[in-house]
Amino acid sequence: MDPMYMAYSLFRRRKFEDCINICTELLEKNPYDQAAWSLKTRALTEQVYVDEIDVDEEGIAEMLMDDNTIAQITRPGTSLKKPGTGQGAPSAGVRPLSQSGRPLSGFVRPGTQSGRPGTMEQAIRTPRTAHTARPVTSASGRFVRLGTASMLSTPDGPFINLARLNFSKYAARPNLAKPLFEYIFHHENDVRNALELAALATEACGFKDWWWKVQLGKCYYRLGLYRDAERQFKSALKQQEMVDTYLYLCKVYVRLDQPLTAIDIYKQGLEKHPGETALLTGIARIYEGLNDMTNAVKFYKQVLHNDNTHVEAIACIANYHFYTDQPEIALRYYRRLLQMGVYNAELFNNLGLCCFYAQQYDMTLSTFERALSLSTDDLLTADIWYNIGQVAVGIGDTSLALQCFRLALVSNNDHPEAYNNLGVLELRKGHLDQARAFFQAAESLAPHMFEPHYNFATLSDQVGDLQSSYNATKKAIEAYPEHCDSKELLEQLKKHFSIL
Amino acid sequence: MEDDNATNDAIKAASNPSLDEIKQPVKAQPKPRPKKAPELPIFERRNWLIHLHYVRKEYEACKMLIKEQVAETSGMCEYPLYVQALILRQMGRIQESLECFQTCALINAQNSDNLKQVARSLFLLGRHKAAIDVYSEAARMSSRDWEISHNQGVCYMYLKEYMKAKEMLKQAIQFNRHDLSYVMLAKIYLMEGDIHMAIDVYKRAIEFSPENPELLTTLGLLYLQMNQNQRAFEHLGNALTYDPSNVKAILAAGSMMQQHNDYDVALTKYRIAAAAVPESAPLWNNIGMCFFGRKKYVAAISCLKRAGYLASFDWRILYNLGLVHLTMQQYASAFHFLSAAINLKPKMGQLFMLLAVALTHLDDTDNAKQAYEQALQLDSKDVSILLNFSLFLYNLGDRKTATKHFIAFEQSMQKLKDTGAADLDAELMDTAGKLGPALQVGESLVWKDKANQPSTSPSAPLPAPPPYTDTSTEALANAPTPPTHDPAASEQNSNTRSDRVAVPSQ
Repeated sequence: MDPMYMAYSLFRRRKFEDCINICTELLEKNPYDQAAWSLKTRALTEQVYVDEIDVDEEGIAEMLMDDNTIAQITRPGTSLKKPGTGQGAPSAGVRPLSQSGRPLSGFVRPGTQSGRPGTMEQAIRTPRTAHTARPVTSASGRFVRLGTASMLSTPDGPFINLARLNFSKYAARPNLAKPLFEYIFHHENDVRNALELAALATEACGFKDWWWKVQLGKCYYRLGLYRDAERQFKSALKQQEMVDTYLYLCKVYVRLDQPLTAIDIYKQGLEKHPGETALLTGIARIYEGLNDMTNAVKFYKQVLHNDNTHVEAIACIANYHFYTDQPEIALRYYRRLLQMGVYNAELFNNLGLCCFYAQQYDMTLSTFERALSLSTDDLLTADIWYNIGQVAVGIGDTSLALQCFRLALVSNNDHPEAYNNLGVLELRKGHLDQARAFFQAAESLAPHMFEPHYNFATLSDQVGDLQSSYNATKKAIEAYPEHCDSKELLEQLKKHFSIL
Repeated sequence: MEDDNATNDAIKAASNPSLDEIKQPVKAQPKPRPKKAPELPIFERRNWLIHLHYVRKEYEACKMLIKEQVAETSGMCEYPLYVQALILRQMGRIQESLECFQTCALINAQNSDNLKQVARSLFLLGRHKAAIDVYSEAARMSSRDWEISHNQGVCYMYLKEYMKAKEMLKQAIQFNRHDLSYVMLAKIYLMEGDIHMAIDVYKRAIEFSPENPELLTTLGLLYLQMNQNQRAFEHLGNALTYDPSNVKAILAAGSMMQQHNDYDVALTKYRIAAAAVPESAPLWNNIGMCFFGRKKYVAAISCLKRAGYLASFDWRILYNLGLVHLTMQQYASAFHFLSAAINLKPKMGQLFMLLAVALTHLDDTDNAKQAYEQALQLDSKDVSILLNFSLFLYNLGDRKTATKHFIAFEQSMQKLKDTGAADLDAELMDTAGKLGPALQVGESLVWKDKANQPSTSPSAPLPAPPPYTDTSTEALANAPTPPTHDPAASEQNSNTRSDRVAVPSQ
């Protein structure tokens, strides 16, 4: 069989490794074989391709150092940085928070930002995974590739030496330019050269090709030139209404902290592409970011109406129902995920919790066992043990609960909730000093949780150390302003301080 | 300009009924002369102004003035430092205010106020022994000071020396009657477990200040504990007239209405409280039991489960959940909740009785029998336990022991009738009326009767009314709340790679 035909066939079947090997042989025979060259670039690109829409990571630097937002002090409900109190969202007393004021979402994406650090110092001190789904770096770390990393895939040096390419020559030939651009952008992560190529190519085709505009926009977005990116995407939309372009444009607006504009754009997109799940999901995500759960769930339900296997929508709705006193309904959603073939520790853990709270006692422990056996990393194991501890508390078996929370700490030494609950159990036994130590550990690990602050305050109040109690209560109210018990305690303490 | 202001403000200050706590070292202003303002010594020149700002809570201006004064006198001014310490205390910075007060005490060792404040700061920091020592020193300077006695009493209370504490507080009440002293004294009696004395103390306190809703509520709760419902209702009603949104009083009054089966009124009361404390477990527990009384079982379960989610360690909620599930004939869940409640409160007969009823329906007669025996051991006076056990044994065919327990049941009922205490449960009487003849008549008849004997179909007689909220004088829900956190409950994989597997991307 003709090797070129074979290579194409392999590429179509996504067997990139073999395809690259054949192309390499062909290129050795004939270094000027453009078809083989471009096929090899495409195969190399596809190996490491990650959809640019879902790659939305902010390093510490982007979070703190750049100021793209226009309004510094926003009205509540119009900004993602200071989400309002929201409607229909369960309060902090019910739903756990990942950061102050951001309830845990049902689905973790690479672009998930739950809350933002206030200062550089704070960002460096908090655990690295507290703000994004991956460990935070100083700048977006995924795009910084050392020379050695790219060499590894190709033992005899890089495939294309970018420094020696004459971009203007390639830009005129779209059939070569497009794969080359993708290679530079996705494989080499060399945004500057990619931008140069894209600019030349746009010029070459007389600004008539929307695709090049979108690529330009992507480059600008990577470089942090959001307004330029916005211009490119808008002009691309004028030429051709593509779902991708809408998503990119909205990404820009989210980065500029203009959620309402983003929602408008999504809705315009929905007029052109009715029932497009990616757009509907985008709207729902923004509403969730604004803590407006009523609308978020509404849009997630629309997503399911159009695509009833959408994992993110199912998980988010299930999560919402679980925390609004409807574990039975949450259980149905999670079981749907199980039927679809999702098979991981998180799902079984959630199923176990839903079973327990929906009083399906026959299934509870077996699902937790399954979750433990599927768990791949320590953080997850800790969370599962923690939840088994919650079940143990539910059946009134405090010694089992104590063991479970301790096991959670064994797997993850920085598990603030486990520390707090251990403190509560110790307090019930009457071991004040141990309880205090546990509460303090929890406080220092998670200043955004109100429970350890409040527990520490009540403990200090009992033994009469009113100053510590006052300070802890203040922190509790800062973490969760609507907590009535904290407010009552603060009133009492203030009375103590003002009476002579 | 300053001088004009000065005289004006001085007049205002004079007409302003200042708090009696600060003895101003300001000399009485001489008669206003048109020539010039009086010459005050440099240390106390602006004390009146500082005081004025302080009592108006204008702390910023106050701090500025104090700073100036301290700079002018190089730190040798008593009153500005004193006020500064007070402000620091209001801000919760007790340690710094303690240092300030100590400076004041150094500057003027003859003023007992300074010593009192030092001791008070020590008390707020939880150093009770040191506080008592300093208070004793202050007491030597000024006699018959209720404040010193009161505070010493409170310190002794924290140190668990109740005899001395009571003595001191009684002394304080003799010197000068004060609500707080009464409250603390009653608290000590309650700690010792002497409700009668506590009620006495509160009665006297209410004579002294009849319009304090806190006192009224607490007294009402104490009467409720003593089962003197009429009086409790009176006091709680009074408290609610003075303060219609007092959550504690609402909860207590509502639970009393529930005992009299007045569920709708109780629910309207709770509606007021729910706006104020949306996350109070006792409140949701009571609301759930209201629905239970109105036969709305599903609503009851959802309310009770919310309460259980908010307070995992409250056995009352678990007890009620078990009860409701028994009524709904969901025996597995009932067993689960009741056994959880027993784990948290092992010394309660009724819990074991309900557990036995659940076990009977789960076809585990051996354990049910054991549970009944345990229940009788813990509470041999409860008529419903006796009757249920008797019925259970009768259904098993153990006529002899069944008769024995039934006779014991009848004796207890007789006693109850004699005292005329409880309004006897109709269902209880009904079941007893059917079981009695069944046990007394001959065997052959029984087997014939059995076909149309509803009593032999295992019925779960209503147990005693469910317990309601905590009626202790402690604030409700003072227990530290464990977070009902399930961090992992909402985490999908935080790994890009597998996310892409999970989400079919377009």
